[in-house]
Amino acid sequence: MRLTHLLQRLVSAPEFGPFVLLAAEILVFTVRTPVFLSASNISNVLAFTPELGMISLGMTLLMTAGEFDLSVGSVFGFAPIIMWTVYNTHTASLETGFLIAMVLAALIGFINGWMVTRLKIPSFLVTLGMLLVVRGVALYITDGFPQRTWSANSVLTNLIVGEFSLGTLRIHASVLWFVLFAAILGYVLTQSKAGNWIQAAGGNADAARARGVRVTQTKILLFILTAVISGYAGITSSIRVSAANPNSGTSYELEVIAMVVIGGTALTGGRGTIIGTVIGVLILRMMRNGIVLVGVPGLAYNIFIGAIILGMMALHSWLERRHRAGT
Amino acid sequence: MADELVRMERINKFFGHVQALNDVTLSVRKNEIVGLLGDNGAGKSTLIKILSGALRPDSGEIYIHGAKVKMRNATDAITRGIETIYQDSALVTQLSIARNLFLGREPLKAPRWFNRLDQRAMNGAARQLLKKVGITKDIPPTTPISALSGGERQAVAIARAMHFESELIILDEPTNNLGVEETQGVLRFVRSARDSGHSCIFIAHNIYHVFQVVNRIVVMRRGKKVADDIDPKQTTIEGVERIITGMSLVEQKG
Repeated sequence: MRLTHLLQRLVSAPEFGPFVLLAAEILVFTVRTPVFLSASNISNVLAFTPELGMISLGMTLLMTAGEFDLSVGSVFGFAPIIMWTVYNTHTASLETGFLIAMVLAALIGFINGWMVTRLKIPSFLVTLGMLLVVRGVALYITDGFPQRTWSANSVLTNLIVGEFSLGTLRIHASVLWFVLFAAILGYVLTQSKAGNWIQAAGGNADAARARGVRVTQTKILLFILTAVISGYAGITSSIRVSAANPNSGTSYELEVIAMVVIGGTALTGGRGTIIGTVIGVLILRMMRNGIVLVGVPGLAYNIFIGAIILGMMALHSWLERRHRAGT
Repeated sequence: MADELVRMERINKFFGHVQALNDVTLSVRKNEIVGLLGDNGAGKSTLIKILSGALRPDSGEIYIHGAKVKMRNATDAITRGIETIYQDSALVTQLSIARNLFLGREPLKAPRWFNRLDQRAMNGAARQLLKKVGITKDIPPTTPISALSGGERQAVAIARAMHFESELIILDEPTNNLGVEETQGVLRFVRSARDSGHSCIFIAHNIYHVFQVVNRIVVMRRGKKVADDIDPKQTTIEGVERIITGMSLVEQKG
């Protein structure tokens, strides 16, 4: 009796659909090619997953609060450009450059949030404008050329994305940061007072405001969080691949939003899940990796991503309707 | 008056060129249920929104227990013991009953630095409150509002007002869209609120509902207060209807 009850709750959880899809995906790829579960391939997937994954975590909270941010990909490219330009021109130390980049990212997030909440412009338009401005600045200050990043091997770069071995796996520190961020933000969303405010702000902003919830501040803080975490992810990536390209992160915004909604977070706000997002990140990143391994042309990747998004949206809406009808 | 709880004095409010409120004065005593009546556009909602901090008046003062206060936002009103229940319940439908009850005033677990909700306390209090407002069905407090009926939602909003010991509970069209039984529940609540020392302002289109519970009826028409002291025991429903529509003026003159 209790077991069936538990099972029922598990199946009706918003993360259940994405979880089944992830399991099926791993199964299919493993059957098709043994390379998929080899240590070197897992290391490979774990190397590039945290970067988009971190942005998705921030985006999950922002979307739960009823807003989204299209400028994350630009900030992903912009922050490392700032950090490495400061360092390569001998303006300041790498650590100072890192701080400057983070502060500028926070400022971008603040401007996004301020314009959305105070000027009441839809976040689609505000962050679309910001996408172009930030990308433009990154291209302008570098003349479009990548910045050197390999000359620095400091405590900071090791802390952010240093490599170590775990048995036969090569793990980057960024994986640990991703897990830590996911744990913290998952806690914030489900266990904390702040999380209650985030969900209320996205669910019914007027009702929340009438109860004394500071909706505006909550949303601005989430825009700042999303921008800072995107900048941090960009810096992580620049150190790992030893290049800060002013074009990197292009079109990441859509992939990130796809990861978040596949995981079960509502595009319209009010409902969000960090666990679902982590699953969504794994689904899309493993898809990109597995498709190449099983021999599907890389150019066909988008067909699969699009199909997954459509399929998951259909599933979520069906579950939603069944949930409503059942009560 | 010594037992006066709230007094709004000479409140004016303009929306562009339209004067929504014209020198309106309204007072509510302790343990009193005031019915606020008026046709659409009479200014009832505007007056109530000013009292609950959602709107600011262009001129006029608000006194609580004789002391002048400023209502800048909803929190100001709530901390001064004024709780408003709007017709659409103003609940976050995605959140659970317990999370809605404590929205904006969530109890935290120590150490407070962790910002952690005390979910056990929230669910416990919610369970007690739901019983108190007459939801006899066994609904777990973790149920999202979206799964509740209109009457159950209204009951949750009422439970919230009761829990936070509000001195004045404003009910804005609380019986709209409710079934017969649910309406009776709301009216029962209003009576019990008075018995336990609360005051109420009760706004409704349905005069029959108002007549059943209030001590005094105030009527507004086109932004002005046109009657203040109607005793429902000594007036007929038709008489009040005439005042609302303005027909009594013609009669008095003639």
